[in-house]
Amino acid sequence: MAPVKITPKRESLLANIRVQRFTSGKDRSPYFDNFKLEVETGMTVLAALRKIKDEQDGSLTFRAFCRSAICGSCTVRVNGRSVLACSTQLLPILKDFRKGSVTIAPMANLPVLRDLVVDIDPVIDKLAKMHPYLIESPERVPEALERESLMSRDELNAFDYMTDCILCGSCYSACSSVAADPSYAGPLTIAKAYRFSIDVRDSFRGIRDQAAIDQGLWSCVQCRKCIKVCPKDTRPADTIRRTRKLTIDDGIRDTPGSRRAKAYVADIKRFGQVNKPMLPVVVFGTKGWEAIEVAEAALTKQGLEPTRRVCKLPGQEGVEGIFGRVRAIEDEEEQGR
Amino acid sequence: MTSPSFAGDQDKVGEPQFDQKHNDITNVSSVGGRGEPDRGEEPRSLSHAMLTYDILIVGSGGAGLYAALESRLEEDLHVAVLTKVYPTRSHTGAAQGGVNAALGNRDPTDTWEQHWFDTIKGSDYLADQDAAELMCREAPEVVRELEHWGAPFYRTEDGRIAQRPFGGASKPRACYAADKVGHIMLHTLYEQGLRHGVDYFNEWVTLNLIHDGQRCMGVTAYSIRTGRLHTIQAKAVILATGGHGRIYWRRTSNAYGNTGDGSAIAYRAGLPLKDMEFVQFHPTGLRRSGILVTEGARGEGGHLLNVLGERFMARYAPDKMELGPRDLVARAIETEVREGHGGPDDELFLDLTHLGKDQIIERLPQIRQLCINFEGVDPVEEPIPIKPTVHYSMGGVHTDINGCTPIEGVYAAGETACVSVHGANRLGGNSLLDILVFGRRAGRHAVGYARRIKLGPMPQGAYDEAERCLEELMEGDGKETVAGIRSDLGQIMATKAGIYRHAAGLEEALGDLEHLKDRYRRMTIKDRSPVFNTEMLAALELRNMLTLAEVLTLGALARTESRGAHFREDFPQRDDEGWLKHTVARLGSDGRPALSFTPVAVSRFAPEARTY
Repeated sequence: MAPVKITPKRESLLANIRVQRFTSGKDRSPYFDNFKLEVETGMTVLAALRKIKDEQDGSLTFRAFCRSAICGSCTVRVNGRSVLACSTQLLPILKDFRKGSVTIAPMANLPVLRDLVVDIDPVIDKLAKMHPYLIESPERVPEALERESLMSRDELNAFDYMTDCILCGSCYSACSSVAADPSYAGPLTIAKAYRFSIDVRDSFRGIRDQAAIDQGLWSCVQCRKCIKVCPKDTRPADTIRRTRKLTIDDGIRDTPGSRRAKAYVADIKRFGQVNKPMLPVVVFGTKGWEAIEVAEAALTKQGLEPTRRVCKLPGQEGVEGIFGRVRAIEDEEEQGR
Repeated sequence: MTSPSFAGDQDKVGEPQFDQKHNDITNVSSVGGRGEPDRGEEPRSLSHAMLTYDILIVGSGGAGLYAALESRLEEDLHVAVLTKVYPTRSHTGAAQGGVNAALGNRDPTDTWEQHWFDTIKGSDYLADQDAAELMCREAPEVVRELEHWGAPFYRTEDGRIAQRPFGGASKPRACYAADKVGHIMLHTLYEQGLRHGVDYFNEWVTLNLIHDGQRCMGVTAYSIRTGRLHTIQAKAVILATGGHGRIYWRRTSNAYGNTGDGSAIAYRAGLPLKDMEFVQFHPTGLRRSGILVTEGARGEGGHLLNVLGERFMARYAPDKMELGPRDLVARAIETEVREGHGGPDDELFLDLTHLGKDQIIERLPQIRQLCINFEGVDPVEEPIPIKPTVHYSMGGVHTDINGCTPIEGVYAAGETACVSVHGANRLGGNSLLDILVFGRRAGRHAVGYARRIKLGPMPQGAYDEAERCLEELMEGDGKETVAGIRSDLGQIMATKAGIYRHAAGLEEALGDLEHLKDRYRRMTIKDRSPVFNTEMLAALELRNMLTLAEVLTLGALARTESRGAHFREDFPQRDDEGWLKHTVARLGSDGRPALSFTPVAVSRFAPEARTY
C-alpha cells in the first residue's frame, strides 16, 4: 500500500476566557477577568490557563501538577461544572455554546484562597476523621512479611472501584448536602470509609461506621450530582447508599436517618404514600411531637383542619410490583459487584 | 543590582556561626510541633520561632512517604513530611505499569537472582551490582509489607498478588493493579502515615539544607499558602523530591513539579550528584503534553508513521519494527524529524486507524480516552500525533545503600537519589521498587541515627540567606520572566542534550545555560502577593533546574561513549574500558560543577552486549 501523506486536522478559535479572581486578605469579593486566547485543537482548560499565566498575567493562580488526571490538583468549575482542568478539552466546549466564551471558577463549597485555588484542608480534615486506613485483621493479615495476605478477586472487587478515587474534590464541590450543611462530611470521605470497612483484611469497621454517622452519613439527599461529576466514575452516591445499608446490617439501626428511611419504606408498603404528618415523630421521637403541634397550630390559624391520618391510596398491587422489582435490582447489583 | 543566589554564590560547606537567640527559641518550642504554626499576622521576627523534628522528609512521593512511615512505626520519634503539593498528588501516583518483585506467583520458577540480572542488563552494566542485588532480594518483602498495609494489588485465582510480564523482564514479575499501581501505593502509604501520626506540611517548599559541613541541622522552607519563611530544625533530613525531567520543560511526561528540588538542594549544600547525564526518553508522548501513550498501543499493532505516511521503522529495525527497544525507537523518531519527515509541529504519528473502530474500543479503550481527553484526537478517526518525551532521571544524589550522604543525617531516596540501581537505563517496574526499598532503608537508618544523637545549636544566617534569596527575586524591574527562561531551557536541553548528543552541541548548551543564568539574575517576580504566589514557586524551581541542567550537560559532555539512555553521535559505542564508571559532580569552589569518577561495583555479571 502506497503511503499517504498525513495532514492533521487542526483548527483554532479566538476565545474569551473569563476567569474568577480573588485574593484573600486583599479583595473584598471575587471579580472576573477576561482573557483573549487563540484556542487550538488539543488544548485543555489547563493548557489555556497555563498559556494565559505564561504570556498574559503571571499572577493568575491555579493548582496543577500531573496533567494526566491522576493527582486531582486541578479541579475547577467550567461553566458551572466541576471538572479536572487537565482532562477537559476546551475547543468542543467553546463550539458547543457557539459563544466563543467560557467561564472558569474555583470549586464550590470551599473557601477561596486565591483565584482558582481553594482551601482543601476542610475535606482532608473530614477525611482524617473517618479513619481512612486499613487496620489489619489478625485473622487475615499475617504478622510476618514472609507470607502474603490472601484475598479473593471477589473480595477485592467489592471495593476496588473506590480505590480509583484521586481525592480531587469534584464531588465535594458539586454536593448539594455540603452546600446546605457545611459540617457534612461530603461524598468522597464517606466513600473512602466504605472502601476500608468492606475490605476483608480490615478490623475497624464498627468505629468507621460510627464516624460516618457522626459526620452526616444520613444527610446525603441522593441528588447524585457527585456521580455526574466524578472524573474516575466512582459513583459516590451509590457507595453512600451501600454504607447506610452496611451500618444498619452492623446493628446501628436507630439513627434519625435510618428511621426516616425505614418509615418511608414501611409507609409506602402500607399506604402507598409517605405518612408525612407523623414523620417528625418517627424521626425525632418526643421532639417530633412539638414540631407537629407547632405545624398544627399554624394550620388551625389559617382556618385549616389538621389531620394526623393518612389515607391508603388505591392500586396497592402496583406498589407490590415495584417492591418486587427493587428487590430484583438489588439482587442483581449484589451479584454484579 | 543584587543578584539572586545561584549554586556556588553562597551556602558553602563549612564555618558555621552560632546564634544564642535561636537556641533559646529552640528550647521553648521543641515539642515536635504538630502541624503548621498559627497563621495569624505576627511580626516577621517572631516567625523565627522554630519547628523541631527528629526526622524531616522533603517530598511526599513513594520514597518520602515510606521513609516517613518507617520512621514513625514505633511512634517514638517526631516525624514530618514537607511537600510542595499534597501527598496524594505526588508523581508516584502517575506510575501505571507495575512494581517488580520475584514473588513467583505467576511463574514459580522466577527468582530474585533473575530479577537482579535483568536489572543489571537493563542498566547497560552501569548499575552497582551490590545495590541492585539488595534491591531485588528485598523486593518481595517490601511489596508484601505494602500489601499488609492494605494496598489493593490485583489477585491471582488463588488470592495472591497478581503479576504481569514487562519489557526487559525475563519472567512475569511486575505486581499490578489495573493501570493504577503507583496510585494505590501512594494512597496506601499516605493512609498509613495518617494512622501512625506523621505530620504533613502540605504546600511548603524547601529552600535549603542547614548543616555545618559534617552534620545535618534542618532546612529552611517556605509556606506557599502564607508566603512565610521558616527554619525547621531536624536531626535528620531525607530528600525524596523525585526526578528532574522538567529540565526539558515541554518535552516530558513528568508533572509540573518534577524540577529536581532535592538534588539541587543537596548540590548547593556541597553534596555530590551522580550519573546526571542519564535521562530516559519514552518514544511516544502526546504531541502537546508529553503524556505517555503506553507500549500497549504498539503491542496491539499500532504503526509509527512519518508525515509522508511511511512506516519508517522498517529502515531502523526491520525485524521488530515498532516493538524495538525504547531508546532505539526514540532515536529513530528523532532522526525522522531531523530529516524533515515530521508534521507541522515536528511530531510523528502513531496510527491505529487500520485496526478499526471495534478493535480499538475493545482492546485499547483507555488509550483512546487518553488521546481524546489530552490531545483532542480520536485514534479511531486519525493518527495520534506523538513526540519522544523525557520520562525518568536515572541520576541524582550520590548515596550508599542506606540513603546516606557525606553529611551525617542527610539522606536521599527514590528518583532524587542515585544508589545506583538503574545505571544508564532503568528497567520498567523498577522505579516503584526503588522508592519502596530505599525509602524504607533511608527511614530505618535515620531512625537509628535520630535516636542516637541530640539536637545541636542552629547556625546563624540560614534564615537570613533564604530570606534574601526570596526578596531578591521580588526586586528590580527586569524584563525577564520565569516562563520565558524556562521555555528556552527546555528547548536548549531537548535539542542539544536530548536523545542525540555530540560534543559541539553540548558545549553550545553550556554556553546557552550561562546566558540563561544571566537572564535569571535579571528576572523579577511580577506577582507581589504573599498568598499562594505560584510565580515565586516557579522561580525557585527554575533556579534548581538551571543548576541541574549544567551538571547534566557537563556529565554528558565528559562521557565520551554511548551507554543506555546516553547516546553520543561522536562516540556511538559503549566503552567498558574507559567508562564503566560513575560520573560524580560536586559544586566546585569556582561555582561550577567539578567532575570525578568512581568505579562501578561489579560482583557477579561481567558486562555483555545489551541485546533483546
